Amino acid sequence: MTITLGFYDSAIDFGLMTEEATPLDAEAKRIQFEEQAMPLAPYLYSAALKNTRGNYYDAEDLVQETFIKAFKAWHQFEQGTELKSWLSTILRNTYINKFNKKKKDKAVGGLDDLEDWQLGSAESMSAVKELSAEVESLKALSSKEVNAAMRALSPEFRSVVFMAIVEQLSYAEIAEQLEVPIGTVMSRLHRGKAKLRKLLAEFAKSEGYNVEGEES
Amino acid sequence: MTEKVMNCEETKRHVHEYLQKELSEAELESITTHIANCDHCEWEYDFEAALNRTIQMSCTETPAEEIAEKILERIRSIDLNDIQH
Ligand SMILES: [Zn+2]
Repeated sequence: MTITLGFYDSAIDFGLMTEEATPLDAEAKRIQFEEQAMPLAPYLYSAALKNTRGNYYDAEDLVQETFIKAFKAWHQFEQGTELKSWLSTILRNTYINKFNKKKKDKAVGGLDDLEDWQLGSAESMSAVKELSAEVESLKALSSKEVNAAMRALSPEFRSVVFMAIVEQLSYAEIAEQLEVPIGTVMSRLHRGKAKLRKLLAEFAKSEGYNVEGEES
Repeated sequence: MTEKVMNCEETKRHVHEYLQKELSEAELESITTHIANCDHCEWEYDFEAALNRTIQMSCTETPAEEIAEKILERIRSIDLNDIQH
């Protein structure tokens, strides 16, 4: 079994590897960490989502890894200093080490063409009634289901939907950050949202929601 | 001056640009006029706007707690198991 140096260090600091150590020392540190650091999880998660451009899976990984690292290095944190920025630094470094490489490896573009998003309009000759049914079923869906639908999108679509709708970035900004043409941004947003609608309609159907019969 | 009038299909195609504020003034004017007179397109725009709000909510509220649970689980298993090796 190999133990990394950093981990070995923190094990000593936690008082577990020395004679006079009692499990309580480690326990006390753990409690301190949980009390101080864990409430910042939502903050770090939204920072991670921005870093990963709305990739939930990467953001979760990133936050988890950040907290594990922070926990192991907890003895290095100076009480009384800004914990938020200490954690943010760990998050940023983790992101750079882990995900930036992945991003560069990713092939850019190719799949999208502008005419594709026009395909959707063929099916949009639906009646007002049908659409209002969709609006009603959307109301019945919780944000948990919308979240599940977002997760079901492929990363290319999810990024653009997230950046445009949640982060409210302009097409030009998204195009620049993702290094794709603006037409691709538009196409991915249109197609991403069309896919979301389709998924949500399926969820709504499987949940048994319908327009007329509002169950109480 | 010829004012370009958008039909339903064109109007619907611009819904995302409308919501993202990516339209030119002329396009915006043409679309607002169309929507004011077309229930179907108005529904479509309302729907997409509502969907956007739900997406925004779903991205900001839900999963942080679940993640915190997972982190706690991992943290609580860290030293006690590994350090004895
Ligand atoms: Zn219309």
